Amino acid sequence: MSGALLAGLATACADGQSSAAGGGLRASGSTTVAPVAADAAEALKAQGMNITIATQGGSAGGISQLAAGQIDIALSSKPIADADRTAHPKVDFVATQIGSDAVGVIVTQPVADAGVKNLTVDQVRDLFEGKITNWSQLGGPKLGVFVYDKEPGRGTREVLDKYIYGDEKAPPPPDTDNFAIVGGNLETRNKLESTPGAVGPLSTGFVEGREKLAVVTLDGIAASPENIASGKYPMNRPLYLITNGEPTGDAKKFIDYLLSDKGQVLLEPHGYLSLEQIGK
Amino acid sequence: MTLTQEKRPAVEPDADPRPRRSVWVWGWLFTGAFSVLAVLLALLGYLGEGVAGGHVDWVELLTESSWNPAGSVFGGLAMIYGSAVVCVIALVLAVPVGWGAAVALSEYLPGRAARALRMSVELLAAVPSIVYGLIGILLVRPFVGAIADVPGGDSLLAAGIVLAVMIMPTIVAVSVDSLAAVPDRDREAAFSLGLTRREVIRSVVLPKARPGMRAAVLLGLARALGEAIAVFLVVGRADGRLPGTFDQLLNSLVRPGQTLTTKLAGPEPVLAGTSGTYFASLCGLGLVLLTLVAVATVWGNRGASRTAGAGRFRGRQSAGLGRVQLDRFVAAVRLTALALPGLLLLGMLVVLATRGSAAFQPSFWFTSATGAAGGGVRDQILGTLLLVVTCGLIALPLGFGAGILLGVHASARTVRVLQTLTVVVGGTPTILLGLAGFVIFCSAMGWGRSWLAGAIVLVPVVVPMVALPTCARVRSLSPEMTESALALGLTRAQFIRSVVVPYAWPATLTGLLLGLARAAGETAPLLFTATVFFGAPAFPGGIVESPVQALPTHIFTLSQDSGDPQAVAQAWGSAMVLVLITAVLLSLAVALRNRFEGERWTT
Repeated sequence: MSGALLAGLATACADGQSSAAGGGLRASGSTTVAPVAADAAEALKAQGMNITIATQGGSAGGISQLAAGQIDIALSSKPIADADRTAHPKVDFVATQIGSDAVGVIVTQPVADAGVKNLTVDQVRDLFEGKITNWSQLGGPKLGVFVYDKEPGRGTREVLDKYIYGDEKAPPPPDTDNFAIVGGNLETRNKLESTPGAVGPLSTGFVEGREKLAVVTLDGIAASPENIASGKYPMNRPLYLITNGEPTGDAKKFIDYLLSDKGQVLLEPHGYLSLEQIGK
Repeated sequence: MTLTQEKRPAVEPDADPRPRRSVWVWGWLFTGAFSVLAVLLALLGYLGEGVAGGHVDWVELLTESSWNPAGSVFGGLAMIYGSAVVCVIALVLAVPVGWGAAVALSEYLPGRAARALRMSVELLAAVPSIVYGLIGILLVRPFVGAIADVPGGDSLLAAGIVLAVMIMPTIVAVSVDSLAAVPDRDREAAFSLGLTRREVIRSVVLPKARPGMRAAVLLGLARALGEAIAVFLVVGRADGRLPGTFDQLLNSLVRPGQTLTTKLAGPEPVLAGTSGTYFASLCGLGLVLLTLVAVATVWGNRGASRTAGAGRFRGRQSAGLGRVQLDRFVAAVRLTALALPGLLLLGMLVVLATRGSAAFQPSFWFTSATGAAGGGVRDQILGTLLLVVTCGLIALPLGFGAGILLGVHASARTVRVLQTLTVVVGGTPTILLGLAGFVIFCSAMGWGRSWLAGAIVLVPVVVPMVALPTCARVRSLSPEMTESALALGLTRAQFIRSVVVPYAWPATLTGLLLGLARAAGETAPLLFTATVFFGAPAFPGGIVESPVQALPTHIFTLSQDSGDPQAVAQAWGSAMVLVLITAVLLSLAVALRNRFEGERWTT
């Protein structure tokens, strides 16, 4: 008995685990990164690792929980912002990129078929600010525009805001009747598919194979793997696993797994690009 | 109950005093009572500390409609408007039908049919709110989009309809109770004067039942105000919507809006950290919500307990033929109103049974989930049962103790105060329990998400439902029994242990099962404290660090992907499983109540 106990203690010390006995690795944040992280967790779980994936609050929620010590790894589809570092000066954010993704401006297929296949940055801004209220203003059908934007904290929303406003702060959402808020990627896709004339930002991986939705080109640039890899596509984004300090123990194992060949192959089924595909 | 007569010897001056017995009873009772206060104090402490931790501009919070954290503008008026509108819609739809159905159930149906239908309505009242949320996103939202010709259907109206469906059974059930409490002799006296049934109801029954029926409305309102998950996916969650004109008001009903609960159920409580103006303002919204629910609950509870004065007889002469025809017409209208909840129950069961047909295959219950929406729900069932059992084990002694203390020890005035507090705890929006639990357990105490944290945040849902029936049962104890026990020399503690506890425990058990049926369906608290997207094991490997899977959160996650047929089928199947589990708990509660109501205590 005491021998087993000592062996257990030795193992715990060797692993450098910071959590209490029985506790597992806790990851939370982006619903874009979560499916890939869940696949990796499933594989590692078979090897005995204890890990959970949550999606509370999106990318910023993950970063916030990491700073508060509530989780071990934050899943994020946006880089650490200066505002994040300022808000949590005591946290040593270390972001490990595991892949890349593209955010698309998604419209319904009938709207795309009727002529809306490309949008300029100004048009995107006018759409999301509620200034364009009918698709006929963009050469499309006579159909009201309905905007679904992401809720605060979502990496997708931050990418869109950066594309539209650059380094300027985004204005508050428009006070128009044709505007609603959505959360995770699944809810976003569902609402876009079931609402005629809808437009919203969504990871292009979630649109693949969905007949009712289409990704428009942005300033003539399509969200193709080549354009994402070269950086030409303006709303491409890295996917991160973020830790407080350099990853150690199970966190390091988890991140190393996702960086390995076995982990990288998990990205493509979800429509993302591996590090190799983007030349890193 | 037989007692052995034995002669007690004279006590010698130097004999050892008899050992004190049953002293632990008092400790147990006060612990139970304190637990009710502790929940309220913890919640108020959490919200109060949050408010104190940053500057809250209360005037802005209550008068500004714009909510813009990036611009440091925190106005809650539009959310208060949204909550108010959604609740008004719900009441406008649910109250006429609910009251009509209650009158029909109580006054028009024969005893056997009335009992069966009453049990059905109570079953409806126990359907988990996540199931109404599923019905909302899949049926109500497209319905609103179609009838109002608006894109999508995300709207205050959709949310109001979902809540109306959800609270109608509560209104019916509580109203029936107050109607049934009117003595039959009053009806018989009125009938003997030649009045028609409609006139009897209007002149005699309704005046006496009115306080209880009003209480039913207020309790339904409290529940609607506090609901987050059922409306989260259908309300649109758009900030800052506050109409300026009547036309704009009408238009706002079919357009996206925001409520206090859907704001709190969104990501911002997590984003806001645990201090500063942002978090303080969110806590301010929580206090506003808690205040509104508490006022409605207290008001409703007081109305229910007030004794109605004898209704003044105001029968009027009218043409004989017209009276009979009017009576038949009113009877038809009321029975039609009763048909609506019946059809609602039938429709819900048909939808669940057909779309959730997976629930009728044993493999669905006994296999684990595979991928996002495949396989069975064995792990979710085990998780839900673990949470429910743990919650019950914690809540039963606390609620039982609190109920007995309320019933036996307190003065009439103190009883009313403590009963009111207990009802307020029971009416607390569970989204606030989830948020408080998240900060207290997962952050301050350093626990991760865990099944124990989840079970603990569900305890406040169950304790009042144990305490209040127990208290009512104890207070119905006849004076003869009390006096007989005390005359035999029992101490007060012995009296409680030997007489009160056996007498009260049937009501306690019934309340426990009803409370657990409700707890089994709660989603909001578990999202923050106990469940995760992936990785919860079937059997928890720890206590305070081990998350769990649960049916309600599984259904909530799946319902967000209602464009995927597989996810939809899985969601309905899971909902059917959850309803069956809830129905089993409720059926046990009803069976126990029926059995023990017939039991007679002899003096």
